[in-house]
Amino acid sequence: MKPVVETEHLSKWYGNVLGLSDVSLQIEPGITGILGPNGAGKSTFLKLILGQLKPNIGTCAIKGEMIRNNYALFSNIGFCPEQDAFYDELTGWQFMIGLLKLHHFSSSEIEIRARKALEIVELIEDKDRIIKSYSRGMRQRLKFAQAIAHDPEIIILDEPLNGLDPLGRRKVIRLIKSYKGEGRTILVSSHVLPEIEAMTKRIILIHQGKIFAQGDIHYIRDLIDTHPHIVSIKCSDPRQLASKFIQEDFVLNVNFSSTEGTLLVKTNNRDKFFGILPSLFVKYDIDVEEITSPDDNLQAVFDYLVGK
Amino acid sequence: MGQESRGRVSFFLNSLKDVFTFFFSMGKKSKKMKVFFLIGVLPVVVALIIKLNQFFSNRTPIRGIYIFDNMTIAIYLQFLILILALFYGTSVCSEEVEGKTLTYLTTRPVSKSAVIIGKYAAYTSLIIILTSIGVILSFLVLNVNDLLDFSLYKILLRDVAVLSLGLMCYTAFFTFVGTIMKKSILFGLVFSFGWENVIQYFPGSTQRFAIIHYLKSLLPVPQTGRFSFLMFRLEPSSALFSIFMIFLITGVFLGLACLLFSWKEYIFED
Repeated sequence: MKPVVETEHLSKWYGNVLGLSDVSLQIEPGITGILGPNGAGKSTFLKLILGQLKPNIGTCAIKGEMIRNNYALFSNIGFCPEQDAFYDELTGWQFMIGLLKLHHFSSSEIEIRARKALEIVELIEDKDRIIKSYSRGMRQRLKFAQAIAHDPEIIILDEPLNGLDPLGRRKVIRLIKSYKGEGRTILVSSHVLPEIEAMTKRIILIHQGKIFAQGDIHYIRDLIDTHPHIVSIKCSDPRQLASKFIQEDFVLNVNFSSTEGTLLVKTNNRDKFFGILPSLFVKYDIDVEEITSPDDNLQAVFDYLVGK
Repeated sequence: MGQESRGRVSFFLNSLKDVFTFFFSMGKKSKKMKVFFLIGVLPVVVALIIKLNQFFSNRTPIRGIYIFDNMTIAIYLQFLILILALFYGTSVCSEEVEGKTLTYLTTRPVSKSAVIIGKYAAYTSLIIILTSIGVILSFLVLNVNDLLDFSLYKILLRDVAVLSLGLMCYTAFFTFVGTIMKKSILFGLVFSFGWENVIQYFPGSTQRFAIIHYLKSLLPVPQTGRFSFLMFRLEPSSALFSIFMIFLITGVFLGLACLLFSWKEYIFED
């Protein structure tokens, strides 16, 4: 398949700070997840692809054409920025109409497209409310709507799930997945692995401005699974639970947290651990208040992989 | 002109029109416009007070057109158009960067020059309308007894035209300033009430380095009266040259703003 986005030795510095270093890759149609902890260089990468930033070294092309100041290319590109920024005094409808005007559609087509996009993101009922009064989730969906309204071939979404509640996330994920058909290329950045996992299997891992890994999501999943993992369990009888866990070979150590009734278990096999956990609760009649994974995030995985 | 060039020009003009429409309709409903509208009608209030004072006092009234002429220079030319041009001109670029909405514009199929010129044109039109409303109302209030003297309307037209040229020129300059620097308002205040107010009173050619020199050159020089000091030391340029210079300054600064906006990268602050 012909790549839609191609970069060669793409590098960017902000003064002495490295934003992106020597990134050469090709992105094909379909959904590609750009994954990395905060400050890894995801937004820099997307802004370079969009020509919003100038690379210090290297080149970036979309469908074989250089992007910077090549504004005609934007007829085919939709961008949902990371920042929660709008022309706040406008209504959702005015915002959509105004931005669609910049695509030079006729007035009737602008209205049709604005209506369709707002219907897709389920904001049509609220189209006449000013954006300032929208909830975070609505604003996020409005950003998505302006990115898809002109029916672009390439959609670039920078942290589209940031600040959304679980229901809002599900809605946006469903929207993104619904848009992958018809040969579209969708690039989504996130710092949360399960979010990307819910949308695509194809990922690019960025860490400290470099491409850390690229390929199938199972690869990163495997890395996470072998990564020693801490689970915090707040329950009615942490001592009883600790005595049982200590006998298991997949448990590396057990500690009691400073928070009363909380047990910290370090395991090197998450699947086995979570497989046995419910049966222990039932068998010893333990009431569970909370189970959390304090290091179930990408930063922990990256720190582990780079040997910190 | 080749077909391709013509196509490009028509695409650019279309982009310009689309950007203009977007920002004109957004700008006219904005809170900023409401605030500046209130400031813009203050001279009308002043005119009303002057007129009422004349009505109730026993002194011989001063001619309305005389007060109007001085008001045009003292309030509009030396103060109001500078403030309007400063706040609207610098915001052409800086409000997009500070509000982080710039990417909505720069990821559309419109050239960056069309964004700058279209938004500049929208804002300049809005402040010209706003100023003209204030000027016309002030004129009507101050000349309420001479409304049938049609020769006065020539003066009104001339003043509205000069103020519009001033707004056009200053807004272009401040658009450039807003594109190049972050603390543009501070610089703009120093320029407006420092440079422009001082340089114009320098003798010889030095005063030609102030935009206001060319604007004042288009107005008659009052020889006497309370505000005649505002034209003090003015060595006017010819009307034609002044108009040429005003358009030249506008074109140069708009061109520079477009170049800079296309070349510079804007990084949003968290």
